Amino acid sequence: MTGTGRIGCALLAAGVALAVGSWCGAARAAGDTVDWKRFNGQTITFLSSNHPWAQAVLKRLDQFTELTGIKLRVDTFQEAQMRDRLMTVLQSRSSDVDLFMSLKSREGLLFADAGWYADLRPLVNDPKLTESSYDLTDFSPALLKAEEFKGKLAGIPLNIEGPVLYIRKDIFARCKLAEPTALEQLPDIAAKLKACDPSIIPFVSRGAKGALAYTFSNFLHNLGGDYFDAAGKSNLCSTPGKQAMQLYADLLKNYGPPGVVNYSFLQIREIYGQGRAAMAFESSNEFGPIMQFPGRTKDSDVALLPPGPGGVSRPTVIGWGISMSAFSQHQDPTWYFIQWATSPAMQTALALDGIAPPRVSIANSAEYKAWLAAEPVRQEWSKSLDAMARTGTSEVGPPMEQQPEARDILGDELQQMILGQVNADQACAAADKQIDALVAREQHH
Amino acid sequence: MGTMAFGRSGASTAGWTRRRARFAGTAHWLLVPALAFTLALVVFPFGYTFWLSLNDYQFGHAARFNFGENYAALLHDAVFWQGLGTTFFLYFLSLALQLVLGTYVGLLLNRRLHGQTVARTILMSPFMMPSVVIGMMWLVILDPSLGAANYILSLLGLPPSQWLASPGLVVPVIALIDTWQWTPFVALIVVGGLQALPIEPFEAAFIDGATRWQAFRYVTLPMLRPTLLTAAILRSVDLLRFFDIIYITTQGGPGNASTTLNIYAYRRGFEFFDIGYASAIMIALMALVAIVVLALMRLRRSL
Repeated sequence: MTGTGRIGCALLAAGVALAVGSWCGAARAAGDTVDWKRFNGQTITFLSSNHPWAQAVLKRLDQFTELTGIKLRVDTFQEAQMRDRLMTVLQSRSSDVDLFMSLKSREGLLFADAGWYADLRPLVNDPKLTESSYDLTDFSPALLKAEEFKGKLAGIPLNIEGPVLYIRKDIFARCKLAEPTALEQLPDIAAKLKACDPSIIPFVSRGAKGALAYTFSNFLHNLGGDYFDAAGKSNLCSTPGKQAMQLYADLLKNYGPPGVVNYSFLQIREIYGQGRAAMAFESSNEFGPIMQFPGRTKDSDVALLPPGPGGVSRPTVIGWGISMSAFSQHQDPTWYFIQWATSPAMQTALALDGIAPPRVSIANSAEYKAWLAAEPVRQEWSKSLDAMARTGTSEVGPPMEQQPEARDILGDELQQMILGQVNADQACAAADKQIDALVAREQHH
Repeated sequence: MGTMAFGRSGASTAGWTRRRARFAGTAHWLLVPALAFTLALVVFPFGYTFWLSLNDYQFGHAARFNFGENYAALLHDAVFWQGLGTTFFLYFLSLALQLVLGTYVGLLLNRRLHGQTVARTILMSPFMMPSVVIGMMWLVILDPSLGAANYILSLLGLPPSQWLASPGLVVPVIALIDTWQWTPFVALIVVGGLQALPIEPFEAAFIDGATRWQAFRYVTLPMLRPTLLTAAILRSVDLLRFFDIIYITTQGGPGNASTTLNIYAYRRGFEFFDIGYASAIMIALMALVAIVVLALMRLRRSL
């Protein structure tokens, strides 16, 4: 299908979805062979995180039930608790859960190696089960790649997100400062902001040890670093690795808010939203909530983290995916739900609810364009997401099966630097040693 | 008469013995549901956890028996020993604060004062609240930038504190939050104990010229000791496996400053997928709780 054709199809489907509340009319009119009532009366179970995507989709659940007659049982938990429940179910090879939300950048390798994801590709390629308008190639290549393990398609992307720099342009103007265009300018700009208005927090980002790999990784990559060297050894003591640790820790230690070592998205959203910080490096997902604070829509700019030396910009980009359990006894009806929830029409509707769309064609839809055009800051946000999709990397922490523990090791050492307990040499050496030991343990398994 | 009495007595003894034997047989069967319940809900989980602790068992991989390697690794695990220290520091600090303040509040509540019912209701409310609510509430209050605690310090002309973000302060602050929640519970137990005390020893003490402090020190406190030990046992079990408020406020941070053994086991098991090692930590923690509770119960019996 051509690009124009895709856009046309998406627009048509979006119009149908919004006007009639049903998704499949356009595609079925084109002569598709999918029988949506084939699994009428069956029940499937969805283990969901309490995520904006899930909330937005589930409020449209009646449309799916009406279309297919399939009953969806939903168990919703906070992210950590959802993962606890999911791992217990999958470890016992239980069919209690048919589909679930999964963050591949975190648990993908472990789940894939354990054989817990069903391969969705045969279902996508089956014309009896998948509408021709579904078009898997419409998804951002980076996001789709993140859903693939050893040639198998472990999930379908649900959204696109990554850290962006929220900048208070009114404070910059008042202090007669230009917004940063290079990473190395950040400390100098933060110092000038502090001198200009001591009541303002110049810079804030994640300091909580389990959470900071998400924001730190962009510093490492823009400075030209990687978590592992060519021999597969932890590489934080390389020159860019040490520079990234030093820069990140210094910014938070010298210009961050007190208590930043406990900060994750919730505190950052509040402190920037309430107008207490001049710069916040936090997830693009927080755009909606932050812009609901009075004044932020008009006085904020949104940009990617400035590039490092030589103009290197490798933004962090991740996305939640929806996956099917390899132990599901209802794989075909489960695929119907996944297909419906990730269709072009549904993702257009979700984009208007502020869920950044993983499909390239959505950005060209009329409704979405009109929504973006209403505020300049929305366009900046969208531009940053486009750049992420094109140039980003989903490497959030050392790419290995035991990634959560590796992130924790990195977080622990960076926290100690922020607290002034160790220097960059000590922190990177300790992190490299522990991560290498973890790699060895992983290989032993 | 005596013979008759003897004869009747002999017959009735034999009957009683038969009835008792029948009853004993029935009683054994009646015990079966309770035993099955205990086996299913206590012995099996404990035994399964112990078996897991003897295995190298990572989520996503098959379990492999490793001959107690997990326990050997515990001995060389700095985070485990730090967690043990944190667990005991938090335990002793919280228990001491709660027993002292609980006794004081209990004595106040035991007096006949105006507005006592209202005061009791307000004082009891913290331990009726879910720990999640309490954790979130204190997280907001103690936030160094956004919270009310530093604002109050600034009104008093005092410098701001890092509270839960300070490695040195985090455990005492968590102990204070737990004390805020559970002191009323100890106070309730103390009030119950005070109301059960006989009045005569107090009358004798005051006739002998004892001051109020002497009556408290030499009469109330010794008689209240079994009650306080009961409160200490109940709080010990909770405090040694302290989890909820730490998980909500700091997740064991900053660094590992507030990582108790329970938090450490949770992180190893559910965040790092290392179920075998997490089970070994939990068995160590269970042994610790059992030792402390047995010691306290022995102390209580010796009174």
